[in-house]
Amino acid sequence: MDTFLLALVIGAMFSAQYALIALGFTLVFGILGVVNFAHGSMYMLGGYVAYWSVSTLGLPYPIAVAIAVLFTGLLGALIEILLVHRIVEDHLSTLILTLGVSLVIVTGVSLIFGHEAPQFTFPIAGSIPLGPAYMPLDRLIVMIVSGVAILAVYLLIFRSAFGRAVRALSIDQSIARTYGMNPRVLFAVTMALSSGLAALAGALVTPILSLSPHAGESVLLTAFVVVILGGLGSIIGATWAAVITGMIQSFAGIYVGGSLGTLLLFVLVIAVLTVRPSGLFGAPARGA
Amino acid sequence: MKKDMPYSVLQRERQFSGSDRVTLVALLLAAALPLLTSNILVQSVASQALIGFCGALAVHLMLRLGLLNFSVPGFMAVGGYAAAIAAEYGVQDLFALLGIAFSAPVVLAIPIGWIVLRLKGVYFVLVTYLLTEIVQLVIVETPSLTGGTNGLIGFPPTTFFGTELISGPAVYYTCYAAAIVALFVALWSTRSYGDIYDSQAHNETLAQSLGLDTARYKAQAFPVSAGVAGLGGFALVQLLITAHPLSFTAASSVNYIAYVLIGGAASLLGALLGTVVLVTAITQFSWSGEYSLGLFGLLLIFSVLFMRDGVVGVFTKIAHTIRGRNQLAYPATQGDPT
Amino acid sequence: MSQAALSVEALSKSFGGLHVFKDLTFDLAPGEILGVIGPNGAGKTTLVNVLSNQLTATSGTVRLYGEVVSGRSFPATARLGLVRSFQHTSVFPTATVAENLVRARYFAGRPPQIHTEATELLEVCGLGAVFHRKAVDLPYGLQKTLGLVMSCLAEPKVLMMDEPAAGLERVERIVVDKLVHYASHVLECSIMIVEHDMDLIRRLCPRSIVLEGGKILAQGATPNVLSEPSVISAYLGEALEANDAVH
Repeated sequence: MDTFLLALVIGAMFSAQYALIALGFTLVFGILGVVNFAHGSMYMLGGYVAYWSVSTLGLPYPIAVAIAVLFTGLLGALIEILLVHRIVEDHLSTLILTLGVSLVIVTGVSLIFGHEAPQFTFPIAGSIPLGPAYMPLDRLIVMIVSGVAILAVYLLIFRSAFGRAVRALSIDQSIARTYGMNPRVLFAVTMALSSGLAALAGALVTPILSLSPHAGESVLLTAFVVVILGGLGSIIGATWAAVITGMIQSFAGIYVGGSLGTLLLFVLVIAVLTVRPSGLFGAPARGA
Repeated sequence: MKKDMPYSVLQRERQFSGSDRVTLVALLLAAALPLLTSNILVQSVASQALIGFCGALAVHLMLRLGLLNFSVPGFMAVGGYAAAIAAEYGVQDLFALLGIAFSAPVVLAIPIGWIVLRLKGVYFVLVTYLLTEIVQLVIVETPSLTGGTNGLIGFPPTTFFGTELISGPAVYYTCYAAAIVALFVALWSTRSYGDIYDSQAHNETLAQSLGLDTARYKAQAFPVSAGVAGLGGFALVQLLITAHPLSFTAASSVNYIAYVLIGGAASLLGALLGTVVLVTAITQFSWSGEYSLGLFGLLLIFSVLFMRDGVVGVFTKIAHTIRGRNQLAYPATQGDPT
Repeated sequence: MSQAALSVEALSKSFGGLHVFKDLTFDLAPGEILGVIGPNGAGKTTLVNVLSNQLTATSGTVRLYGEVVSGRSFPATARLGLVRSFQHTSVFPTATVAENLVRARYFAGRPPQIHTEATELLEVCGLGAVFHRKAVDLPYGLQKTLGLVMSCLAEPKVLMMDEPAAGLERVERIVVDKLVHYASHVLECSIMIVEHDMDLIRRLCPRSIVLEGGKILAQGATPNVLSEPSVISAYLGEALEANDAVH
């Protein structure tokens, strides 16, 4: 029973992380139609900017996280305005473009910070008892912050004017334009939001797990898996899929062993796709 | 017959363009390389280029249909490991191993393709990325068969009519054999179906509206692409004398995609040019093993924004301006066929 | 009573909660040229998409000369002889005009030889002069024409034309007449034309159906249909809305 509870708790933590990462990714796809291959590197940048703010600027950790989110969000917006927007209609090309951007970012970070994992630790240590198990405090905080961020995203998308605008854009651009919505601005803001969320995840999680220039690769993979399962472009799908994925990862990791668990997850995702080719909640029409 | 009279026979032609011929000739000429230089470094770089070319061809074959395929390293692994395992069981002949390296991925690709190709383009791309990861995990989880994270070493060398292929030039020729077979397969595929693939890539809906069974051609191209990748995997394993999971990571799929896109996605020549240029660039700047990725990234961004048809596209535009529009692709009409 | 070329029975299509059309029933007689008109948003293009099986119907049956085509794939439906042309220009851009035509024949499973009448049609439509030009380099009107010719060269039994005149200048629209004449007299095709150009409908379609709000508002001889009060007010209503939007 202890193990089960532990698996549940770890699964919840994974789910929160994955949701944070997947939401941004699926937003960009749903609204811009772009498969953002640079998403993982945004996560990684979030970690590095936070690390740099703490170690070089000597700022307190929460401020460092905020800086990481703002910086990376701004970078995301710039990438959209300067690069992606020129070819945003061409789904294949934007994929390749963001792929190129991710390579440049990873190389840039390696050049500045080197290849080895820097010393970046979470400022709060220790754990609190949670029933029969012990929940590490750092993971608890990450979960809470993630949860708040996810809630904020939901409120933004489903309850605000901005959210209505981007949802209209994702359905039909020409109609949205007649209502005075400017895709240029909204696209840039969406990219900023997406990158900011990934950076938040990075700034929170990398001090607990590990930080390196290639930290984004497995994150990108996770984003793919969760978003494919949930359905590309579906926010609700991404959330459900994040929970399912997080739980499977956790339970498989504990009961079956690391890579076998991941393997089972991947096979499961493909199995789901055979019966539901657009994922659990995906809309059939969109895509290259 | 009036000068501008349109033709009454709309004959479909086999696609074997000028650039295809150049590619074939170039690769045939490459057989002479060990005769021209005994420099081991050059031979090694050339071998790597040949391997890269197989990967690039595999990417090209699907990209021709408008599908970006990240599963190339995965199928390379299948081909490479299948041949290495076969060698452990005593199968050493070059031709037999080439056959195995090609067939094993094809056999896997047929059912996988059936599942994966029903997905919309974007899902296809992401799932192929997943497939390569799955192959990695399977390798790691089956150490008794694949050597797991240590890889397979010490398997018997490939033989050519009994002679062991272990010297520098011999290894080059092994890679060459894989590449030339890969090219012939690719030429067959594009010769027979090039126009169908282009139609699907540029206006799939129109093609379907006229009656083209696009699903069938996708399902057909995927195993061919996998087989070609397998040949490259075989060559890579021979070059390294080891079958190791790190040779076939999902990240390495970027390399082959870069070769194709930067060289020119529309033709086999583009795949060749891109591979030769980029492999030479990486190995020349061997200090920039890490930086090569950044270079790829910049090149990809640049080519997507400004050089859509790659290096080949640039040359083609120049050639067209010089040559004008004098291409007579179809024979003159013989009169009414009644 | 001879079999209908195209028989549509209780056809409905909805996207989630949005009903595009509901319980549509009508026939296209062999050799007939039927006009399908109606204000914007009436579901005309979606109707063509569903009939050709590019989209799956929510319910209802479509028959081509008695054979059920509902539920088949888009390419299979075309192969059976139910072909649609596109409102927006639809060609293979990187291929030459000649290659486009070759592909049209090949994909439709037709032999490379074409009738003298087809050769003449190509000439008359202006495609003969640009045989070796890449489709993407053609002016818009010629591209549109090429697309329409390609669907004719597929030699369908039933041809559904979705706004064939859209994008063509007034003077260019005679091309549609020629194509329809070719399809009707040489191929003995039955044709369904979705259009906004009322002159074209009057010229070419003896009988018409009016779609409004996803239902058949009226059907019958074209002159009668066009002078029916309900039809006029449906269009007038649309004109009034357009007027409002401008101000």
